[in-house]
Parts: sequence; C-alpha cells; structure tokens
Amino acid sequence: MTIGPQARAAAAAGLLAAACVAWSASPLSGTGGVFLAVAVVCAALSVVRLALGAVPGEPLVYLNPVLRAGRVAAAHVRGTPWAEGLVIAALVLEALHRSRPWHTGLLGAALLAYLLAVHLAESRARLAVLRPQVPLLAAGLGLLVVAVGAAMLPAVTGSAADLMAILAAVAAVAVGGLALQQP
Amino acid sequence: MAAQREHQAAGPGPARQVRPRWSASAHARRLIALALAGLIIALITRRPEFAGVAAPAVLLLAARRPERPGQVGVSVRTSATRLSEGERADLAVTVTGYGDHSVGLMMHPRYAVVPEPGPPSGGESRLPFRVDRWGRRSLGVLEITLRDRWRLTEGHATVDLPTVDCYPRPAAQRTRVVLSRLPSRLGEHASRSPGDGVEFTGVREFVPGDRQRRVNWPATTRRGRLQLNTFAAERTQNVVVLADTSSDVGEPGSTPADFAVRGSAAAARAYLAVRDRVGLVIYEHSVRWLAPGLGARHYYRIMDLMLANPGLADVRSREAGITRLPRAGLPPGSLILVFSPLLDRGLVETLRDLRERGFSVLIIDVLNAEPSDRRDSLSALARRIWRMEQQAIRFSLRELGIPLVHWDGEQSLDEPLAPYTRRVMVSRR
Repeated sequence: MTIGPQARAAAAAGLLAAACVAWSASPLSGTGGVFLAVAVVCAALSVVRLALGAVPGEPLVYLNPVLRAGRVAAAHVRGTPWAEGLVIAALVLEALHRSRPWHTGLLGAALLAYLLAVHLAESRARLAVLRPQVPLLAAGLGLLVVAVGAAMLPAVTGSAADLMAILAAVAAVAVGGLALQQP
Repeated sequence: MAAQREHQAAGPGPARQVRPRWSASAHARRLIALALAGLIIALITRRPEFAGVAAPAVLLLAARRPERPGQVGVSVRTSATRLSEGERADLAVTVTGYGDHSVGLMMHPRYAVVPEPGPPSGGESRLPFRVDRWGRRSLGVLEITLRDRWRLTEGHATVDLPTVDCYPRPAAQRTRVVLSRLPSRLGEHASRSPGDGVEFTGVREFVPGDRQRRVNWPATTRRGRLQLNTFAAERTQNVVVLADTSSDVGEPGSTPADFAVRGSAAAARAYLAVRDRVGLVIYEHSVRWLAPGLGARHYYRIMDLMLANPGLADVRSREAGITRLPRAGLPPGSLILVFSPLLDRGLVETLRDLRERGFSVLIIDVLNAEPSDRRDSLSALARRIWRMEQQAIRFSLRELGIPLVHWDGEQSLDEPLAPYTRRVMVSRR
C-alpha cells in the first residue's frame, strides 16, 4: 500500500497540530483549561476536515436519515475554520504563560508549518508548489529569530518599549489593510 | 467522492471561455488569522516575540500578486461516449489562458459516476472515471481552480460535463435456447428437416440426383447398395427479448430492472452472435419495441433502446389501454424470452395472451427482492400473502405451458437455462 502526497500532508498537519497544542499548553496552568479544550477540538476537527476531503456530489434526498445527518454534520465540519481557531487558541495559551521567547519562537515556526501542511493537504498539491515562497518564508523566519532575540535581551522600559508597541500597532494596521485588499 | 488531477490530456476539443470568480484563498485567510493574532497579542502583552510569530505571515501576505486572467479557455471531451457498466474512460480537459497561475481540476460527479485515480502530470489533464449503473448519465460538473504562485488568491470556475451512454453489462451466456420449429431461412441452428448443414442425421439409400461426395462407403459395402449420409438443415430463428423494467425495487444496481436489462443484453448478444434475428420489447410506463434484426449494428440499436432513446423505436403508452404486445415486433414462430419479476399484473395477462397466440414463451424470473421484514404480526401476514400471490402467478403461468426459471442476476444465464438449452425447445401451438 502506498501513501499519497495528500495523505502525507494530512498526517503531517495532524502531527504538527498535536505538537503545537502540547507545546503551547505545557506546563498546564489553571487558567488555560478552556483554551486548551478549544485548541484540542480545533486540532482534531481540522484533521477530520482534511480526511473528509471534497464535498460529495450525491444528492442528500436519496440517502437514509442517518447518512443524511452524517452528510450535514460533515458539511458543517468542512465549513468551519478549525485551523484559524487552533492558531488563535495556541497563541492565547502561549500568552498565558510567563515570557519565554525561544519557546514562543518555536511555536510560531510550528504554527506556520502546520498552516502550510493544511494548505498542501486540502489543495492536494505537492510540496514543490511552495518553492516560490521559500525566500519570503526564510525572511519571515529571520524576522522571527530577530524578534525572539530582542525579547531575550534585558527588559527595556520607557520610550523603547513604547516604540516597540507602536511598531506592533502599525504592523497590525498593515495586516488589516492587506486583509481588506484580498478580493 | 471527488477527484482532483493535474495531468496530461490527449488532445484539444472545442474550447469555451469561462470567467473565474476570484477570492482570497483559505490559505490566505489562515495566514491573516496568524498575523493578526500574533500582532494583537504582542500589542496587548508587550512581548515582541509574538510580533515575530506574525512576521512570516505578514511577509507572505504583502507579496505582489501576478495579474489575474479575466477569462480562461476550457475544452472538455470524453475518450468514449458509449460505455458499459464498470468500464473505465477518460475525460480530457485542456485549460488555456491561465498565465502564471496553476490550474487545479476537481470533478464533482453525478449519480453512478465514480472518479478513478490516475497518473498526475502538467497543465492539460486527463481525469479517469467509470460509470457504475446503466443509463444516460451526466458526468457532473468540473470545478477549475486557478491559484497564484503565492497560493493566496483563487479563481473558481465550473463547467458542465457531457453525458455518456452507459450500456448495461451483459450477463454471461454461452448457450442458447433453440426452438424445434424454425423458419425456412439460412442460419446456424440444426433443424429437424434434412438439408445441406454439417450436422449428421442418418443414412439413406442413394437416389439419382444425389451428390456423390456424400456417399457413405462403409454402409454401401455392408448393404451392397449405394448409401448416402444425410445432414440437418441449418436454420435461423427469430428471438424477441422482452425486458420488464417497470419494477425498480431493491438496492440500486441490483433491482429487477437492472437484472432484466443485463439479462436482455446477454441474450441479444448471444443470439446475434449466431446470426439469429433479435428484437426487443421494453415494458415499463410505455411499451417500446424494435423489430427483429441481425448484425452488430442491431446490437447497438437494442442497447440504445434500453437507454430510452425514443427516436429509435416505436412507442405505445400503456395508459392508452394496450392489452396485447404489438404484432410488428413479434414475428410468427418467434421465441420470446421474458426477463421480468412478474410484479405487474398487466404483463402477466400479456404473457397469457402471447401463449394463447401460439408463441413459445420462456420466462426468466428476476425477482430478488421482498417486502421489508418488519417484526409485527400484520406485516408478517402481509408478507405471507404476498409470497402466496407470487407463487400463484408462477403456478398459473406454468399451467399454461410457459416454462419459468429463476435467475439471481449474478450467475451465468447458462445455469438456469440449462434444461432448455440441452435439447431443442418444443414449440406448441
């Protein structure tokens, strides 16, 4: 039996999702229970969504009630953005811990890899389609390393910290603008 | 289930222009979620490492997009427009005018159409599929997805796929039922009358005018007078196949209608192979028939009639009060093979009428379903009554001299027909 590229990407996405949840939750604190539950559910259902594949063409009217209910449930699983939920829940879980920059940096890299694996699995594309993105991904990971390094420096106070906050706000506005640009 | 392939097509068909609808891809939405979540958390918690988490996603989202094509050319053709059940064919798709974008194809099949895996390749594509149930089938819809090199925007377009004719898969049949009386037309069945065939029937005394090459020299030596070998004449027969597709009960693909058409296809093929003249009568909401004919082309006429092509056949609605099958479709002395579950009372009366008109009728019972098995006593009683009615119908037909065999739709037709294929079937008038 051979495993196709789609199955490999789905398996990789599942493993990365589990790793992201475990990494961001450990050590488990009392306040993160809800977000951990959300992250686990989102991780599981994002893998289920990939396993379900595309929408079947058979009309629901010919199916018995049990199968029809299953198809409706599957449609809901397909239509919900579980991966986005997992990303947000994992980052919130990480933010609930005290500052640990290298830990957060690794989580960021894992989340990015998870999103790429999800895309490869759902578009049934090969890894080679990501080749044009390699320079940008490398630059982004470089920025991630810089940010982690900056965070590991002794804490800055006063105007430097405010400047960092302003820069983050400007970047957030820029991302919002990019999101609105999307057709 | 849907299939997606990106691979080589055989050749172009007539192209049509479709206009894709562009939108942000799911991948772009997920990157936006990562970027916004990272930056907002960085802002709230004043921890720069979260801004770093957002950095790769921000860079990808900021990348320049290539120009989107306003419309693309799509040509679709099938490798075969006529298939048998379960036979594999290819859908050749050629997409042009998509620029720097990549093309993804996804087939959304209709009922009974199953996409199959195939070898992947480049911009032109070949999508294998098979059709699992006979009939005129629409293949479904082809979804074309264009993606930019960053995989952030997607253009979606759909194209209706063509229809194919899926012929029923003929059941296995190697033997044939042959009547004792055959019309005087040259064929391949040995008849009772002497003639110029190849089947030896006996020895008789030579009379002037006989061919000398048929002299039986051993017999001549023994008797002292010229003896001659005699052979059976070889005749053809007229066969009319009656397929009762009025009852479509049971599991799809294994209904009496499915078995009736598969058995009819097998019988038509088996008799046409020995140059018999074969006609077809389809009995459903209307009666359609095709007069007996012979040859490979006639086989496809029969198949097309099964797929309900009204242009090829004479049609008479049963609601118009038809009580007898049309004389035009039933040549005198024909063998009539009936594939039916015998659930339609009108057909049972028609079969009695055929027997009274002197036709040799052989019924192949294709009923393999029963009323659902509920556990209450009333249902059990109704089921018993239904079974007794079915037995009564079959008994009355046998009493009329109509032989009846049961076929389960899976095994070869030779097995149930064996009692009638080992020797000629006596035609009684």
